[in-house]
Amino acid sequence: MKKVLIVDDAAFMRLTIKTIMDKIGNIECIEASNGTEALHRYKENKPDIVTMDITMTDMTGIDALKLIKEYDPKAKIVMITALGDEAMVKESIILGAISFIVKPFKDDYVINTIKKILAI
Amino acid sequence: MERGYVMSDQFTNEPMLDMYIFETSQFMEQLEQSILNSEKESTFTQEAINEIFRIMHTVKGSSAIMMFHNISTLAHTMEDIFYFIREQKPELINCTKLSDYVLEGIDFIKVEIEKIKAGDVPNGDAAALIEELHAFLSELKKTNGYAENLKTQKKAAVRPQQYYISQDKTKILDYKYIFKAVIFFEEGCEMENIRAYTILHNLKDYTEEYFSIPEDIINDEDSAEFIQENGFTIYLKSNHTYEQINEFLQQTIFLKSLELLKIDDVEEYNHTKNYSKELNYYTVSDMPVKPQNYDNGGDTRRNEVSKNSQPSTVHSMISVSVLKLDKLMDLVGEMVIAEAMVTQNPDLKDLVLDNFQKSSQHLNKITSELQDIIMSIRMVPLASTFQKMHRIVRDMSKQLRKEVKLEIIGENTEVDKNIIEHISDPLMHLVRNSIDHGIEDGVVRVKHGKDRLGTVTLEAKNSGSDVLVIVRDDGKGLDKEKILKKANEHGLLYKKPEDMTDREIFNLIFLPGFSTNDSVSEFSGRGVGMDVVSKNIEKIGGSLSVDSIPDKGTTITLTIPLTLAIIDGMNIKVGKARYTIPIVSIKESLRPNIKNIITDPDGNEMLLIRGQCYPIIRLHERFKVETQITDFSEGILIVVEQDNQTICVFADELLGQQQVVVKVLPSYLQKHHKIKGLAGCTLLGDGSISLILDVVGLIQI
Repeated sequence: MKKVLIVDDAAFMRLTIKTIMDKIGNIECIEASNGTEALHRYKENKPDIVTMDITMTDMTGIDALKLIKEYDPKAKIVMITALGDEAMVKESIILGAISFIVKPFKDDYVINTIKKILAI
Repeated sequence: MERGYVMSDQFTNEPMLDMYIFETSQFMEQLEQSILNSEKESTFTQEAINEIFRIMHTVKGSSAIMMFHNISTLAHTMEDIFYFIREQKPELINCTKLSDYVLEGIDFIKVEIEKIKAGDVPNGDAAALIEELHAFLSELKKTNGYAENLKTQKKAAVRPQQYYISQDKTKILDYKYIFKAVIFFEEGCEMENIRAYTILHNLKDYTEEYFSIPEDIINDEDSAEFIQENGFTIYLKSNHTYEQINEFLQQTIFLKSLELLKIDDVEEYNHTKNYSKELNYYTVSDMPVKPQNYDNGGDTRRNEVSKNSQPSTVHSMISVSVLKLDKLMDLVGEMVIAEAMVTQNPDLKDLVLDNFQKSSQHLNKITSELQDIIMSIRMVPLASTFQKMHRIVRDMSKQLRKEVKLEIIGENTEVDKNIIEHISDPLMHLVRNSIDHGIEDGVVRVKHGKDRLGTVTLEAKNSGSDVLVIVRDDGKGLDKEKILKKANEHGLLYKKPEDMTDREIFNLIFLPGFSTNDSVSEFSGRGVGMDVVSKNIEKIGGSLSVDSIPDKGTTITLTIPLTLAIIDGMNIKVGKARYTIPIVSIKESLRPNIKNIITDPDGNEMLLIRGQCYPIIRLHERFKVETQITDFSEGILIVVEQDNQTICVFADELLGQQQVVVKVLPSYLQKHHKIKGLAGCTLLGDGSISLILDVVGLIQI
């Protein structure tokens, strides 16, 4: 059983990603709706992957990425982004994000990304 | 469930659609509020701008995923505008115009969401609005002296990048192997250049000596396209083996194909490197290395939003589907009945069962607690319903050129979720009426010595088991003569005008077919009169009353039950039939002294108590039930009051008080044999059915 932490301030996006995770199967989804919560959930659950929205309320996904990376440099974080956010994505890569997914996405893309990172 | 619109195959599942609808509608309301507040302040605060930007960004994303492209495009356009405002902070913003546009956009999205809810295709065309928004943006840029289009703005933000390839180290380090890798990404993975950058970034663990074609993958806007078509080529020197490099590159996400070659000829490496420099891709190392400062917005956003965001670790709220709550409510209702069936079981009659009594009291306590809890779960504050009215007041005062402000009192008063849904439309209608017919023009108001600015007040408060919702205006008040004349014209007068109290006259406006305004304006008086309002309120067991003082204003009070499902009732018996009267409307019950019974010349019986005369309704006559008890001295009179009217109900005997679950009458009875005076029915402990009396209905008969 792998664990995925889904960080997004929009419940719709969390549900969307969770639905896709359910398709992969054998994945436990943990959700967080902002950066602070994301760090807490990360510490609690030690997820195998984090999907991180970039635009959020309390802090940007990049700040949340920094926090998680500070806590666990090995954290595997996939940024969820939109076209036009190239600069943000680049910074997150520099800061250690493992990959990124561009919205709107087909769920195959998400599945492939997650499977590849989990090596399943 | 089949839905009529096209959605990408993988997203046909309902929960996601529900969530989309729910969240997007919520966002729209939040947005509307934010716009209206900004408009009041006639400026957009940084906070509001960030919020609007963020909401539009989110809506854009989720709508695109749900394939609602018209919504997504519109949201994108609005996002662009607020992106510009956020980043460039232009000084001159036409606030009113922008508010109008955004509100229009919100309306569009709302309409589309309604279509989606109804299972229709969200096929609205926002092209005209989008064009206007584009025009607004260019205008905004022009007035504030920005010539560039938004694209360049965004690109400009991208430019200062840290990006280097350490070519100088070639001299120092000597590597064993040279590789050439050609990488193709899967189609549609987006941002190929950044994906390529990801590879280069991670490649640093394997080598420090490399270059790529295209070389500039971040700043050159065509690089993504180039990589799509020609692939991404990396030349690298490394001490790692072919297998290791291959393994590393294979991990690339969205990798479509990888061609990795070992190159033995150092010359090829150097030659290609020089050649690639001569290509149009300028060398990145020539660029000044700047610190990362592109996203001021990110930082300000964090600072400003954190001010009002709540401590996020406290997550004590969950959202639950209303369906589940309804189901739970039903079950608790069933349990109340089951409890009564057990504790009041006829088999137990005349038995002395001390322990059983104790246990059943305990059971009773728990079920009523359970009931209270489920009721409280379903309670929702009226705030959001009230807040919606701001928009209506704004639109109408603009359209009718009247200055009106809306005051809201007691918006935290809670009522059952189902009830909220039913009063939203009537309230809207009442507020519209107040502004359209009640509030006078500014000039007229000043002439009458009133404040130029009209006031509409929305108030909610608890009163026993009811909630009062009051719509009050300080306008011209209702014109009694006009109402009477109109009622007469339409044949709606049921009494001589001289005999009618003010309240009775005002209540005429709720009769079907009555509308005081001769002209039809855009907002109210579209042929739907106040009767629809009163019908809707009656549907949920509420009632309406009007008070009006000429030149001072009109007050309309909606009395709404806190909840629909379970009431405290008094069970009474007439012959073999059982009836239930809501406890809240019972004032007293008595066996009358015969001399207090008066009969008027028309044969109507009345009861005299403490100097007051109240009409008597004999239930056995009213509902044609056979009973032995027709004499007042043998039965019982129950004095009931509702809406300041009092009547006496004559029944055989009282059976006792009980909480009853209100069930609607079967549709057959409702449609074909409309019986006035019945609100519903309920199941008693012994399994018999009792009819719940509708006091208002009884009074009206």
